[in-house]
Amino acid sequence: MAVSLKKGGNVSLTKEAPSMKTVLFGLGWDSRKTDGSAFDLDASAFIVGEDDKVLSDASFIFFNNKTSACGGVVHQGDNRTGEGAGDDEQLLIHLDKVDASAKKVVFAVTIYEAEDRKQNFGMVTNAFIRAVNNDDQTELARYDLSEDAATETAMIFGELYRHNGEWKFKAVGQGYEGGLPALAKGFGVNI
Amino acid sequence: MGVSLSKGGNVSLSKTDPSLKKVQVGLGWDARSTDGQDFDLDASAFLLQANGKVAQDSDFIFYNNLRSSCGSVVHQGDNRTGAGDGDDETLLVDLSMVPANVDKVVFTVTIHDANTRRQNFGQVSNAFIRLVNAESKNEVTRYDLQEDSSTEIAMIFGELYRHNGEWKFRAVGQGFAGGLSALCGNFGINAA
Repeated sequence: MAVSLKKGGNVSLTKEAPSMKTVLFGLGWDSRKTDGSAFDLDASAFIVGEDDKVLSDASFIFFNNKTSACGGVVHQGDNRTGEGAGDDEQLLIHLDKVDASAKKVVFAVTIYEAEDRKQNFGMVTNAFIRAVNNDDQTELARYDLSEDAATETAMIFGELYRHNGEWKFKAVGQGYEGGLPALAKGFGVNI
Repeated sequence: MGVSLSKGGNVSLSKTDPSLKKVQVGLGWDARSTDGQDFDLDASAFLLQANGKVAQDSDFIFYNNLRSSCGSVVHQGDNRTGAGDGDDETLLVDLSMVPANVDKVVFTVTIHDANTRRQNFGQVSNAFIRLVNAESKNEVTRYDLQEDSSTEIAMIFGELYRHNGEWKFRAVGQGFAGGLSALCGNFGINAA
């Protein structure tokens, strides 16, 4: 039932889940069996306004800033090795609490220190990100990072955005050079 | 003409070469010429189920077990010095004969007696793995390994795997601590 996303695909949340109040974004991967540094994938979110920049530096939600000022986006914590089955990292979005001036919430996945460790998504076994209707636990969309984003090191997975008074989700699936710092700067975060 | 992969990349074999039925998997390398013992690199293959393990010990294909019980993977023999251009060791894979419960075939290279001979991949250059259409002889895809595995003695070069009903190949190029016996343990083989 979940839409399996390829780059550029999209799914309408309004059609999939008209009364959804909480969306869970889950990120997972298998911990490393081969030699080398552990794979540390990080999920983050950017709450952006009409100018496509963050509402404030505090609107960049990541492992060092887990709750947005509005309380609408809450990061559940950093997993540094992928140890454990299922989602390794999660972000909870309370749609009713997201700041009224937010045009959209952008979700990104990055590999920590990808350049130093010479890592990309293709080297990580079973890396994925998915969007789940947290109210009834149905999976709405899934992106297989190891398979479809293989040579990337940072990616905008998708965006949750308002349209005519409803929330919609667009699967972006675009790689981003320069990792999380470059992504954050691109959205106007002062680092 | 074939797709050249970078580490971590993957390619659909069915899309790149729809006529592909029999794959010649070639592994090659240059052993550095020095005094002392020959470098004896060995190619092996592991036929894995969805759980990442072999279904039986005979699904570990190497110089002492040249043919899988299903007949889909056949090792063409041991090259003990690396002499000769092109592929040093080859495995033939007949895609249509791979059993339905095998999800993936992993291709590895190990250095025979590495610890005794004090050898490692740092001394090996121009390592590559390539897939050739055994019938048309066209090279379908190739992965040239980079030289950043200087302390390794065992490497996973690449893997052939099923995805959404088609066969794909992924360039892995990752070292495995502990050599061939650790590789075997990881894939569920009892004491190689």
